Amino acid sequence: MLARIVAEAPEFFSYYNIVFLLEAMLATFALSAVGCVIGFAAGFFLAVSRRTISVLLLPLRALTAAFIEMFRRIPFLVTLMMVFFVFQVLGLDISMFSVALISVCLIATAFIAEIIRAGLESVHRTQWDTAAAMNMNLIQTLRYVIMPQAWKIILPPVFSFFILFIKDTALASQIGVVELTYAGKVLNNKGFSAALVFGSILILYFILSYPLAKFGARLEQKLAAARNS
Amino acid sequence: MSYTLQFGQVTGYLPYLAGGAWISLQIAFLAFCGGMVIGLFGAMAKTFGGRALNHLVGGYVTFFMNTPQLVQIYFIYFALPDAGILLTSYEAVLIGMTLNAGAYLTEIQRAGFESVHRNEMEAAETLGMTLMQRVRYVVLPHIARVLFPPLSNQYILMTLGTSMAAIFGVEELTGRAFNVNAETFRSIEVFSLTAGLYIVVTLAATLLLGLFGRFMFRAKMRLY
Repeated sequence: MLARIVAEAPEFFSYYNIVFLLEAMLATFALSAVGCVIGFAAGFFLAVSRRTISVLLLPLRALTAAFIEMFRRIPFLVTLMMVFFVFQVLGLDISMFSVALISVCLIATAFIAEIIRAGLESVHRTQWDTAAAMNMNLIQTLRYVIMPQAWKIILPPVFSFFILFIKDTALASQIGVVELTYAGKVLNNKGFSAALVFGSILILYFILSYPLAKFGARLEQKLAAARNS
Repeated sequence: MSYTLQFGQVTGYLPYLAGGAWISLQIAFLAFCGGMVIGLFGAMAKTFGGRALNHLVGGYVTFFMNTPQLVQIYFIYFALPDAGILLTSYEAVLIGMTLNAGAYLTEIQRAGFESVHRNEMEAAETLGMTLMQRVRYVVLPHIARVLFPPLSNQYILMTLGTSMAAIFGVEELTGRAFNVNAETFRSIEVFSLTAGLYIVVTLAATLLLGLFGRFMFRAKMRLY
């Protein structure tokens, strides 16, 4: 195995292949990052809509709860396939990258909504009651009372979810999105040995994920310290 | 859009798909058990082991937590034959998932080990307990209650993770969904049925694990 890797290495690390792998790495990162940013916005909306109390908004609350429970219990691969086939049936001509992005957004929305809900609930009830007593509406309560306290609790798990999703987007290679895992499959099909190709892919994922994980751990420590003081 | 949903053709395959869900649960269970054993020894090594052992386990955990499970299984399935190790797809998926679960479960159990008070460990040492006895009689009863909720959460996530076995041709729930899709071409119906089965299976698992945790360890757990 080793002899073959050494023999193939000079040809494998050619200029074209390195550019190809770096572009694929960028696609992996973009898929996860854009998905999580959109997921955060939508998840925030869902989490807040679960805090409403009006009777008229009951259907909204029920739908939100159903959406969150559903997408947290469907594997990413199945979501990907469903989105893929729905767009095929609708006859819309969108790229595979967009299909994967929409799937990531759906899953990220559900998971991040749950994280934000936990963050909102971590703020003591008396704070909500006080804001209500001061005649603040929901938006004002969130803006001036809840979010200044809750974001320290929300941010670390959201960030670790983002890192988790860098790895989960590997499944998007199954529908033909050109990201890191797909690049590995292409190079393997070109005849490079699997050990060399997938070994490099594993290392590239590690390079992408490890600094972010370190940063996330530091973020968590800093925010935890800020919370206790 | 002129597409009418037709579940008639697909519902006939429901027992076939349910059988696939059973295989999914099996894979998740086997990988979880293997991962628990790796995790237990990993956590012991990180808490009581020396410097070298600590670095070794730390490297294993860091590597497996920062690379995708799918590519790990690709490596095991496609690259190891070069070194003369031939595995069936089922074995490769199981080994990959076990190693991956081992890393995550090491981290979870290490946190539990650290939550045991120093005094308790020193008292046990004074009584002349060996390392295994200390883990068995002091640490494990103590951390079971604390760790049961995160562990059952990890189990649910692993059940969802088994869907990637389909990519290697293992006929579990998602793999069988691909088969039914190829036979009927009713893609949306097949995959929504599959998604429904995953929801049912994980809801049942959450409920059972929650009840078990509440009765056995008096852990505070959500039942839904």
